[in-house]
Amino acid sequence: MGFNATEAELAAKADKRMQQALATADASRDDYYDSTPAEPLSTQDINRMAWRSLALQASFNYERMQAGGWLFTLIPALRKIHRQPEDLSNSMRMHLEFLNVHPFDVTFLSGIVLAMEQNKEKLSTIRAVKVALMGPLGGIGDAMFWLTWLPICAGIGASLALEGSLFGPILFLLLFNALHFGLRFGLAHYGYRTGLGALHLLKTSTKKISHAASIVGMSVIGALIASYVHLSTPLQIHAGAARIELQTGVLDKLMPNLLPLGFTLLVYSLMKKGFSPVKLIGLTVVFGVLGKLIGFL
Amino acid sequence: MLTESLLIALLAGLAGVDLFDGLTHFHRPVVLGPLVGLVLGDLHTGLLVGGSLELVWMGMVPLAGAQPPNVVIGGVIGTAFAILTKSPPTVAIGVAVPFSIAVQGCITILFTVFSPLMHKCDDMVKAGNWRGVEWVNYAGMGVLFCFYFVVAFLPVYFGAAAAGNLVKAAPQWLLDGLSVAGGMMPAIGFALLMKIMLSRNYVAYFILGFLGVTYLHLPILAIALAALAVAMIDFFNTARLEAAAATHPVEAQDGI
Repeated sequence: MGFNATEAELAAKADKRMQQALATADASRDDYYDSTPAEPLSTQDINRMAWRSLALQASFNYERMQAGGWLFTLIPALRKIHRQPEDLSNSMRMHLEFLNVHPFDVTFLSGIVLAMEQNKEKLSTIRAVKVALMGPLGGIGDAMFWLTWLPICAGIGASLALEGSLFGPILFLLLFNALHFGLRFGLAHYGYRTGLGALHLLKTSTKKISHAASIVGMSVIGALIASYVHLSTPLQIHAGAARIELQTGVLDKLMPNLLPLGFTLLVYSLMKKGFSPVKLIGLTVVFGVLGKLIGFL
Repeated sequence: MLTESLLIALLAGLAGVDLFDGLTHFHRPVVLGPLVGLVLGDLHTGLLVGGSLELVWMGMVPLAGAQPPNVVIGGVIGTAFAILTKSPPTVAIGVAVPFSIAVQGCITILFTVFSPLMHKCDDMVKAGNWRGVEWVNYAGMGVLFCFYFVVAFLPVYFGAAAAGNLVKAAPQWLLDGLSVAGGMMPAIGFALLMKIMLSRNYVAYFILGFLGVTYLHLPILAIALAALAVAMIDFFNTARLEAAAATHPVEAQDGI
């Protein structure tokens, strides 16, 4: 999401998200009755927000995605900022609008939003910031956690576990969560401290950060295919009296991991043609079992 | 057996919540496998099955919000059945995949059913009832917990004996075929990642990563760090070029 899209595609996507947010918008006015900036939030307040952000998807649903959990994340801080009941209600209504961000780097956005709320910015300004950051944060979070960090940690953990070592799961949990919680809390404080300044920074460098994340992500996918997709054939070629193993004698000489690469590219092209992952899983199972039965796998 | 089944169901419930909320990733098979093994008194098999299932699920993550086959139920039921029926990790793959696909479908239904709750929340915040919104979120997690608890308990408690007979009756080629399919399965997750990220300008990095493992036998972490170095060079070069372009908008082009 947001990766290799052109400016026009990104603008269209942002526009669609704004429509989705406005479709569920219910705020009664655009500014707060009490528009004097509130007391700055303390370190504990921001930490509390970061903890609660773990429940971002608690009431996930297809109408507003993470809106309920997002409001849950902000409630204690919002109650501290808005002393007037009408203002609190109005702010909460705006935060129940459609929201879809990445569950790992969400605290960056909630930090910025809390800085804006504390400053009593207009609701439409805060909504615009939420909508503008959803896409880029999603793309960067996908590339960092799903494509890179999780496969690396899981690969190390699984290989140790397969040797029967208890360090596999333990190391996996420690490695993964060191970065996970470090970023979750770090970004929360960074977002709140820099507030709108961070927004400017992100706007100018989103494309560059996405590009850098794509470079790492694509290299790692190439490496993952060579490491974890397993496919070989026991077939033999009869050349006169000599027998040549197709796998070790021909395919591996051509290029090791040729079959895993070929199979992955096949799945990729089928996916681009519209095959769903579930259908492809079913086909893979049928292919594997038939291949074993007939004897070419 | 009732105690063990309840403990496994409890584990599945907690892990099911962690999949969406908490995200410590103790719900991955590499952790759940040994935990289920501990409950059933066979830690070693738990580690082996967990490790194998982790590789099957490699790359199957909720990219851009789309739900992959459910990793929690796959890990829990796959490991439990492999240990209870005393069969190789291969069997775990055969059992785990259909269950995880079925549960993925159920989760989609669950998230559709949650939608009307948002209108209840609208009314609550209008009345300033923030506590109500908090309870909706707690309830959401509670429903997820109960769902996973039941879905894990029923097959483990009632299905283990039947599954054992089924595994004994299954021909060897079927089990071997499942093992082959399990080895190919990660390709689906990786292809999904490629569908989202791959474009012409990144093919070069894909090739480099593939070569690094195939011919140089580098570990993944080494390739990730090398790619990070390349990405940083690229990032700072671009920044410098942009800065230069900003200070000297028109370069004097002298002929040689």
